[in-house]
Amino acid sequence: MHLPYLALEANAPLPSPSAVVEHGRILLADQAASEAGVTQGIGVAAARMLAPTIALLMREPAREAAALQRLACWAGGLTPKISLTADTLLLEIGSCLRLFGGVRNIVRAAAKGVREQGFSLTCAVAPTPLGAQWLAQTAKSACCLDAESLHRHLASLPISVLPDKTAQALARFGARTLGGVRRLPSAALARRIGAPALQLMARAFGEIADPRPAFVFPEQFALVLQLPAAVDNAGALLFAARRLTAALAGWLKARQAGVRAMALHLRQRQGETLLSLEFAELTADEERFERVLRERLNTLKLNSPVESLALVATTVAALAGRSQTLFDDASSGNEAIAPLLERLCARLGEEQVYRVVAHADHRPECATRRTGPFDKSAKVGQPAPGTGQGLARPLWLLDAPESLREVDGRPFRGGPLQLLAGPERIESGWWDGGEQQGDLRRDYFIALASDARWLWIYRECRSPAHWYLHGVFA
Amino acid sequence: MKTALSLADILARPDVWCADRLAPSPLPTLASGFAPLDGELPGGGWPRATLAEILVDGSGLGECSLVLPALGRLRSEGRWSLLIAPPHRVNGPAWAAHGVDLTRLAVVAPARPRDALWAAEQALASGALGSLLLWAPCVDAAQVRRLQVAAAGSNTVAFLFRPARAQSESSAAGLRLLLSAAARGSLAVNLLKRRGPPCTRTLILEPQRPLYENDKSHEFHDSGPAVAGFASAVSGARSQRTLAFA
Repeated sequence: MHLPYLALEANAPLPSPSAVVEHGRILLADQAASEAGVTQGIGVAAARMLAPTIALLMREPAREAAALQRLACWAGGLTPKISLTADTLLLEIGSCLRLFGGVRNIVRAAAKGVREQGFSLTCAVAPTPLGAQWLAQTAKSACCLDAESLHRHLASLPISVLPDKTAQALARFGARTLGGVRRLPSAALARRIGAPALQLMARAFGEIADPRPAFVFPEQFALVLQLPAAVDNAGALLFAARRLTAALAGWLKARQAGVRAMALHLRQRQGETLLSLEFAELTADEERFERVLRERLNTLKLNSPVESLALVATTVAALAGRSQTLFDDASSGNEAIAPLLERLCARLGEEQVYRVVAHADHRPECATRRTGPFDKSAKVGQPAPGTGQGLARPLWLLDAPESLREVDGRPFRGGPLQLLAGPERIESGWWDGGEQQGDLRRDYFIALASDARWLWIYRECRSPAHWYLHGVFA
Repeated sequence: MKTALSLADILARPDVWCADRLAPSPLPTLASGFAPLDGELPGGGWPRATLAEILVDGSGLGECSLVLPALGRLRSEGRWSLLIAPPHRVNGPAWAAHGVDLTRLAVVAPARPRDALWAAEQALASGALGSLLLWAPCVDAAQVRRLQVAAAGSNTVAFLFRPARAQSESSAAGLRLLLSAAARGSLAVNLLKRRGPPCTRTLILEPQRPLYENDKSHEFHDSGPAVAGFASAVSGARSQRTLAFA
């Protein structure tokens, strides 16, 4: 996969028109700038005149290399064997064809993923790495699967794919294409253009081996993305952060690992904002990262624009293998619950989404505890032995008991309440003197209100012996 | 070219039904646990992939007890239940006693009503839930329609609790029930809308009530004896349970 606009697109998100400058000359201009007449090689002043609003950036090889590294991490989701050149990503896909179901699928997945991260690309498939690289560089989206079609495609390539010096020498004696060069007598050719150039061609044509250094995936995932300009809106932040999460997803897949928690550092001019993202279970799903990130970024309030992003995978563990179900059974919906809860949590906040745990306490207020939706340590739903089992307990408890009037010796709420059952004395909690609910001494009754509602009321045993409404049998 | 479409083909569609018969249900329904109600519901139970609207004022009439037997039945399917914007605090032990699996119950209590509807739509769209209970005191017809559309794409049993004053409004929900109190602690249910002929009779159901067997004797005195203060209440009670930790 060749990235012709890497120098420009490594700086995204960029305003349009924009161009990259090297040594005072335009190196690469985006589409809007090209339409205005800005072409490669013209001076900075000329470019400013042609497009007054143009954003000019200095070329930064370090940033391009970082972008390529991120893409290589991302491509770990496709194949474990990757190698990089200055602006080309070489993926060994021969061993992964069966997994993806054919060359066409894997190429489509690769091209789609790269485009989604905001890079334009040309790609080619060939049996030799150099052959694929040259075909991609000349924007011939060829797909050669055997040596014969490789030779045919390579023969039609212009000699400009060769190093500049060689290409000039070859042009002098009239060769235009690689095929033309190959027809020349090789002994004489080697004398004229040198053996290394011939070896290069032999590698491309698959006549001699072409070993490549493999891209080494980092041990710890911590990538920094420098933004070309300070960003303050969530959409642009999400776009930038997606490059990082895509890289993380690929890195995780290459290591067959999942992440439970990650931290996104938003570095501002002053200070830094930390977004920690947590997941219900180990996951390597890019879409899930993105959904949670989007909700968090949409609700985030920043006091100053963000200059760079850093993504650190904090909790990484090996992902257990899982076999796919033979039948589409009903329980498959359970795997969807974790992303749903994550999404709700990310938008609404952890305190608004919870699960309930029955707790062994006689005091009604303490018999239920909230727990985080992802809390695996809490014994969710363990029955509390001996507390209130078999006794009538209301489905709803009021946040705070509501004081009731007493009329003619009967509790009154829109009418006299009819006591149907009780009292049930609950006397407990002497040990936490006023800390939580404190020491209780109450007589509970089941009451029927005049509008036929079933209520749970109690009378305080201590003076003053008021009546309170505590729960509703819904 | 004219396509020949037989009447039988049209009648086989799930959204077309004979006006004098209950509509067939595309997905298996979930028995409500109340025989009179099951007899009147299309498909013989709570529908999946349709929003069921329950109109009731406040809480305490037995509106949750009406749906809880079905939720208990979902337990065997091992699917999750979600409560969105419940009117009060959830009392865990009581829900567990009604057969709800607390390990597969989540509660969303958003601060704003808008968030509740958003959460409900997300939850229905995810298809992850066995049942959804949503309390929405003020929703308009367009929002109910959105919920119905979201529910139609899932196989979730979805309940929307609204105040009784909404009975005069039009609603896109496929099933609408109006609850009111009946004599002797029963629950009166009027089917305002269902896929089938209108149901004119009022169903009288007996949801689970919080009474012990031995307490039932002094139940429902129409002119109940005034419990003169605390002392008489205690003396009249046979089932005093003193729970104390020494």
